[in-house]
Amino acid sequence: MTLGSSPVALCARQELVLAARSRWTQIFAAVFGALALAVAASGYVLSGGGGLEDYARTATSLASLVILLVPVTALVIGILALSSDRGATEILFSQPVSRRAILFGRLLGLFVALAAAQAIGLGGAGLVIFWRAGSSGLSAYAILFAGSLVATAIFLAIAAVLASGGAVRRARALAIALIVWFGTVILFDVAVLAGATLLRSGPASRLLVTAVLVNPADAVRTAILLGIQGPTAFGSASLALLRFTRGPVGAGLLLGASTLFWILVPLALAVRRIERADL
Amino acid sequence: MISFEDFGKTYGRRAAVRSLTCSVLAGEAVALLGPNGSGKTTTLKAAAGLIRPTSGRVRIGDPPRDARLPAARRAISYLPQKVAFPDALTGREVLEFYRALRGAAAERVPEVLKFASLNGSSSRGVASYSGGMVQRLGLAVALLPDAPVLMLDEPTAALDPDGLCAFYGLVEKRRAEGHTVLFTSHQLGDVERLADRLLLLVEGRLVASLTQAELGQRLAERGVMRLRLDRDVPGLLGKIRQVAPTATRAGEELVVPGPAKDRPRVLDIVRANGVGIVNLVASEGRLDVLYRELVAEDHP
Repeated sequence: MTLGSSPVALCARQELVLAARSRWTQIFAAVFGALALAVAASGYVLSGGGGLEDYARTATSLASLVILLVPVTALVIGILALSSDRGATEILFSQPVSRRAILFGRLLGLFVALAAAQAIGLGGAGLVIFWRAGSSGLSAYAILFAGSLVATAIFLAIAAVLASGGAVRRARALAIALIVWFGTVILFDVAVLAGATLLRSGPASRLLVTAVLVNPADAVRTAILLGIQGPTAFGSASLALLRFTRGPVGAGLLLGASTLFWILVPLALAVRRIERADL
Repeated sequence: MISFEDFGKTYGRRAAVRSLTCSVLAGEAVALLGPNGSGKTTTLKAAAGLIRPTSGRVRIGDPPRDARLPAARRAISYLPQKVAFPDALTGREVLEFYRALRGAAAERVPEVLKFASLNGSSSRGVASYSGGMVQRLGLAVALLPDAPVLMLDEPTAALDPDGLCAFYGLVEKRRAEGHTVLFTSHQLGDVERLADRLLLLVEGRLVASLTQAELGQRLAERGVMRLRLDRDVPGLLGKIRQVAPTATRAGEELVVPGPAKDRPRVLDIVRANGVGIVNLVASEGRLDVLYRELVAEDHP
């Protein structure tokens, strides 16, 4: 059996084809590109100027948008794909292939499809920025793309946990996914910032650092901002983390560990759930 | 080839199957019968490795392996009750995917497409298929590998007459090749035509296991011969009852329930008494009637 004909590769290819033909993925790519362009154009408009911002400014502005959009997209598209019709699931999982291989293959295909959609969206906007504003700050744009891919991996893994329960209904999994998204992307930050304002400087810093590390959306957002702006990164969480780790290298390592944790642990949980599920 | 050893499955507080112990031998075609909710699909799914037994175990193949192991599933092809495939794929893409997954030869795809009468529509999206076409595509997927065990959950439910004929032909061919077939059906015609043995489940329990010979005997016992005689002879019914104890008179007819083998003796008695037969109608027992009796015996 060659690598290309392994069950993981076959399932990945199948899922990639399905995702590429899905209207959701196509809409995601278009919206992503349009928003990137809109953000690039709006920076100068808001300050009374005209034209497009360069890559670095656009990437900084887009970081929050990526953290808002990518998790919900990965969760929704992941759950729609992984909790397919019962008949299709039964036929697929009655094949002589381990459930783990099927899950990994499907996740890989979804990841590649979403990565391609983001590459098309950000790439299209990137070409326009290059044409109008030159190549200055291109590395920041690449860091944003890398952060976007990490967020995709994390939230696809979480989608896999939610959709791997066997009897879990798609609507229920979607509802839980939206709660997860709202909690991690919006509610968590509000709660942490509100808590930090009630604490003195030291405990508030520790709370912010912990918050960055335990919330995958915050970890990715902070990593993107630190990657783009380095030690000059602003924002309470970034500053607290930099102080705590005494520099960007330590911060990067901690954030890397946090994001890796948020990919591997949900994946392990998803494997455990799918292997125990009644289909 | 398939063995259920004290197999039980509980969903929440509801027992779908209780302590099922039975086996399906290599080359046998066995039908699982029972009312809705009797545990047929759960039993089949356990054999396909899709569910975990709550108690006992289910083993497949030779040597026997736990049905949950991928290696055990190499021996099976499974068709679920509600067949579905991703709408965005064409019929051929579905088959190519499963062919590659099972490592079947490339020429199997056109063969099964032909069998399923989907040659002309294989490049169309599954979304455009009718229910019967999706069912036929499911059968085609199940036939791609040359697996020794075919498991089919209500395979004929959505088939049109052409599909039905092709399906019967296929199962008979597989049986002739020595393959094992385990299927559920509500179509008693499928059972009579395809099964060597039937297993009757009621409320998750096995209440009857009948071979085709035993089934034939049971059905024969439920046969009836109705005679209209040219005249009534006192004492004739009593003589007939010595051969067929349940014989009775219904209006102008003499009704003789019992197996066909007893009928010549009844006719001999009639002739020996000098009575002419005006009309004779014989009918064999019906599977649907027997089925209802068996279910009612267990669940009055």
